[in-house]
Amino acid sequence: MNALLDIRGLTIDIDRDSGPARVVDGIDLTVAEGESLGIVGESGCGKSLTMLSLVGLLPNRIRATGGVADFAGKDLLAMSSEELRRLRGSQIGFIFQDPMTSLNPVMRVGAQIAEALVYQSGMAKPAAMERAAELLELVGIPSPRDRLMAYPHELSGGMRQRVMIAIGLAGSPRLLIADEPTTALDVTIQAQIVDLVRDLKDRFGMSVVWITHDLALIAGLADRIAVLYAGTVVEDSPVDVLFERPTHPYTRGLLASLPTLTDKPMSRLPSIAGTPPEPGRRPPGCPFAPRCALVTAVCTTSVPRLAPVAGSAPGHRAACFVTAGEGAS
Amino acid sequence: MIAYILRRLLLWIPSVVLVMLGVYALAFYGAGDPIKLIFLRAPGDVAYDPVKIEAIREQAGLNQPFLVQFGTYLWNLLHGNFGNSLFSGRSVWAMISAAAPVSLMLGLMAMIVTALVAVPLGMIAGMNQNSRLDYTILGTAVTLWAIPAYVAGPLLMVMLLAVLPSGAVPYGWGGLFSVKIILPLIVLSFQPIALIIRQTRAAVIDVMTEDYVRTARAKGVPEHVVALRHILRPVLTPVVTQLGLIMITIVNGAIFVELVFGLPGLGRLTVQALINSDYPVILAVTLIGSFLVMASNLLVDLLYPLLDPRATDPKAART
Amino acid sequence: MTDGTIINPPEDRPSSLWRDAWRRLRRNRLAVAGLVVLAVLVFVAAFGPWLTPYDFLSQNLDARNLPPSLGHPFGTDDLGRDVMSRVIYGARTAFLVAVLVTVVAVLIGVVLGAIAGFYGGRFDKTLMWVTDMTMSVPQLLLVVVINASLKQPISLWMEARYMETMNPLYRNSAIIDFVLVFGSMALISWPPYARLVRAQVLSIRNRPYVTAARALGLTNRIILTRYVMPNAVGPLIVAISAGLGTAMVLESAFSFLGIGVNPPTPSWGNMISDGLRVWTNYPHLLLAPAAVLAVVTVAFNFLGDGLNDALNPKGQK
Repeated sequence: MNALLDIRGLTIDIDRDSGPARVVDGIDLTVAEGESLGIVGESGCGKSLTMLSLVGLLPNRIRATGGVADFAGKDLLAMSSEELRRLRGSQIGFIFQDPMTSLNPVMRVGAQIAEALVYQSGMAKPAAMERAAELLELVGIPSPRDRLMAYPHELSGGMRQRVMIAIGLAGSPRLLIADEPTTALDVTIQAQIVDLVRDLKDRFGMSVVWITHDLALIAGLADRIAVLYAGTVVEDSPVDVLFERPTHPYTRGLLASLPTLTDKPMSRLPSIAGTPPEPGRRPPGCPFAPRCALVTAVCTTSVPRLAPVAGSAPGHRAACFVTAGEGAS
Repeated sequence: MIAYILRRLLLWIPSVVLVMLGVYALAFYGAGDPIKLIFLRAPGDVAYDPVKIEAIREQAGLNQPFLVQFGTYLWNLLHGNFGNSLFSGRSVWAMISAAAPVSLMLGLMAMIVTALVAVPLGMIAGMNQNSRLDYTILGTAVTLWAIPAYVAGPLLMVMLLAVLPSGAVPYGWGGLFSVKIILPLIVLSFQPIALIIRQTRAAVIDVMTEDYVRTARAKGVPEHVVALRHILRPVLTPVVTQLGLIMITIVNGAIFVELVFGLPGLGRLTVQALINSDYPVILAVTLIGSFLVMASNLLVDLLYPLLDPRATDPKAART
Repeated sequence: MTDGTIINPPEDRPSSLWRDAWRRLRRNRLAVAGLVVLAVLVFVAAFGPWLTPYDFLSQNLDARNLPPSLGHPFGTDDLGRDVMSRVIYGARTAFLVAVLVTVVAVLIGVVLGAIAGFYGGRFDKTLMWVTDMTMSVPQLLLVVVINASLKQPISLWMEARYMETMNPLYRNSAIIDFVLVFGSMALISWPPYARLVRAQVLSIRNRPYVTAARALGLTNRIILTRYVMPNAVGPLIVAISAGLGTAMVLESAFSFLGIGVNPPTPSWGNMISDGLRVWTNYPHLLLAPAAVLAVVTVAFNFLGDGLNDALNPKGQK
C-alpha cells in the first residue's frame, strides 16, 4: 500500500511569554491509502495538535516549527493557507469532539452541510441542499429532508455527531480525521458512531485517523495504532500485535489499566504512577523515564528512537532502550 | 413565538408598575405632601392656617392611603395627566410634550450613530486582536468611555472656539437636521460607542475561539465567509442585546448634553425641576426615563428569538 | 523513579495568585500609567493643604479671571481665586466622596450578595428584585429623586436641631450636601456589587472543594468566610477599582448639576459648571477642571482593565 500521509520529524511549539515550549517533539507517522490509524495518548500529549497542524488549523500562538508532512506527494507544512483551504473538506475531512459546540448554533444543519459543498465543489445551493439530504440519510438520520431545516439544539447528541460526520464526508475526502468523536457521547451511542464510521470507511475506501484516549474503543476499528507520549510516538504497531505484545513500558501500562473479564471483582486496576511532563519541562532523556519501572542509566541521558522491535512482527516499532531495538532484553 | 412574546409582556408589565411604585413611594414618604411643599415655598399667613391646608388636602385626596393615591396617580398617568408643576403651575404633561421630542430625536439618533459606528469598529478590533489597529480602537474607546459628557462637551466647544469665531460655535436647538445637532449628538454617542465597541470586540474574541469556527474552517470555507457567517453573525446576538441596554447610558447622558449645549429637552427640564424642587415634574421625568429603559429592555427580549433560535425553545437554556 | 524533581517541579517560583497578578499588572504599561496618576491623586488629596500656593477661598478681586501664568499655573477665576488651588482641593473632595461611597456600597453589596447567593430562597428573590428595579431607573434620575426626597426632611431636622441646641454645626449647609450626596450615591451604587458577589458565590458554592468542606462538617459561616469569599475577591477588586472611578465621576456629575457639593467648597463638577457659564471668554476656567477629571477617569479605566486582565487571566498566555 502507498503512504497517503507521511509525517516525519514534526515539531510543534507553543509561544509562551517565557519563550517557546515544545508540545510535539519529532513525530513520525504514516497512513496508507485505505488504512485506518488509531492515535492513542493522554490528553495533552499532542495528538490533536499534530492532526490540526496538517491542515493549518492550529490555535493562535501554537505553530508547527519543523518537519515534513507529505500528503499525496505534497508537503502540507509548506503549503500556502489558500492551498490548505482548498484541501480541507475536499481531500481531508474532520470530525470534532463535541458536536454541541462544533456546530454553529444559529445556522440550520442543512445549510452547514451544504456550505461545505458550495465552497468546495462549486455546487449551486439547491443541488448542495439535495446532496446534504443524501448525506444525512447516509449517516443514518431518519427523515433527512425534514432535518435539513433543524437547528443543532433541536437534535440529540448522537444525531448532532452524525451531522458532524456528514459534514466531514461532504467533500468525499481521501482522509478522514476523527478527533475523539465519541468522548462527549453516551456509551451506547459511542458504539453506533464507531460502527458508522467503519462502514463509511469500507464503502468509500477512505483512510481514517482516529484520535482517542480510549484504547479499547478503537481496538475493533484501527488497522494500526500509534501510541503517543509527551509529544513523541513511543510505539507504532499493527493493532493485533500491539495487544499481543505491547513493548513500550507506557503501552504496557495503558493495557494493564484496562479492566478485563478475568479480573477479580473489587481488585485494583494497576495505574501508571506520576504525571506526564509539562511542555517545555521535558527531561533530558526518555520522556517516560521518570515514571518508568524499567528505567536504566541510559534512559535519563539519551532519547530512544523509534526502532523495529526485535523478534516481533514487521511494522512493529517502539522507542525504548530496554524493551525494543538493539540490546533489548 | 406568540406565546414567547406574551410571556415576556406578562413579565414586563408588573415590573414596570413595580418600578413606578418604588419611585412613587420614595417621593411619597420622602418629600412629604405637595400641599405642604407649596406653602413651605411661600410661607404667608395661609401656611399657618391648618384648617385651610387640611381642606385643600382633603380636596386633593391627600388624606387617602398610599396605595389609593398611587392608583389615582397611575390612573391619571394613563390619561395623560401628570399633575401640575409646583413652580409654574403649568400642566406637567404640557411641559413634557414640549420637551420630549427634542430628547427623543437626539436619543434615537445617538442610538443609530452608535450602532453604525461602534459595531463595525468593535468587529474590526476583535478580528485583529492585539494588533496595532486593535489597540488604537480600544484605546479610543476607553478614552471616550472615561470622559463624561459634561466634560467632553465643553472641551469640544473650547476646541471649536480655537477655530471658529465665538458666535459661530453651535449652541442651542435647531431641529433634527440643523448643524447644531452634530456636536451634542457626537458627545451623547461617546459613551455608548465606547461601551458597544468594547462589548462587540469581546464578543468577537469569544466567538473566534468557538469550536464551530474551527469546523467552518475545516470544511474549507473561504476566510471571508468564516468571518461573516460563523463569527459576525453569532456575535450579533450579544451585540444587539447590548445595544438595547445602552438606553440607560443615553438617558443619563442626555441630561448633561442638553444642559451643556442648551437644548430644550427633558434633561434640561429635569435640571430646572431639580433646582426648583418641582416634585411632580421630577417624578414624571423619572418615570418616563425608567419607562424608556424598560421598554428598550423589552424590545431586546422580543428581538432575541430572531437572533438566537434557541431562545424560544423551552428546552434549551438561554445563555 | 530516579529523579523526582522532574515529575514534581520544585516550587522555584512560588506561584501565589497575588504575586502572579502583580507581575501581569506591572507588564501592562497603560495600567502602570493609571496607577501612577492615581498615586499622584492620592498624594495631592492627602497633602493638598500643604501643596496649594493659595487658599482655595481667598479672593483677590484685583486678579480676576487671569489667564494661566507662572504665579497662577491654571489662572484665576471670577473672584480672583487661584484655580490650581481649587483643583487640588477638588481632588480632596472627589477622593473623599469616592472612597466613602465605595466603602459603604461595597459593604452593603458584599453582605447582601453573599447572603443571597449562599442561602438563596426568598431573601435572594427579593434582593434580585430590588436590584433589578434600582438598576432600571436611570442612575441620575434616581439620585435626583432620592435627593429631592431627602433634602426637605434633612434640612427641617437640622433646622430643628439648631433651634434646640443653637449649635452652629447644624447650620452648616456643607454637611447636608455631603450627607445627601453620600446617602443617595451609596443607595444607588450597591446593587452591582451585590449582584457580582451573589453570582460569584453561586458559582463557587457548588464547586467540589466547597462540597468537600461541607462534607467535613464545617459550619456555613466558616465555609462562606474561608472557602467562598476569598475566591470571589478577584472580580470584586476589579469592580471596586471601576467603582471608585464611577463614584468620582458621579460626584462631579452631581456637583455639576448643583445637587452635589455646593460652592464655595470646590468640586471639579461645580468648577466645570461655573466654567461653562463663561467659557467663551475664559476657556481656562473650564479647561483646567475638565482636563484633570478626564485624566483621572481615564487612569481609573486603564487600571481597572489592567486589574481585570491580571486577576482574571481567562486565556492565560
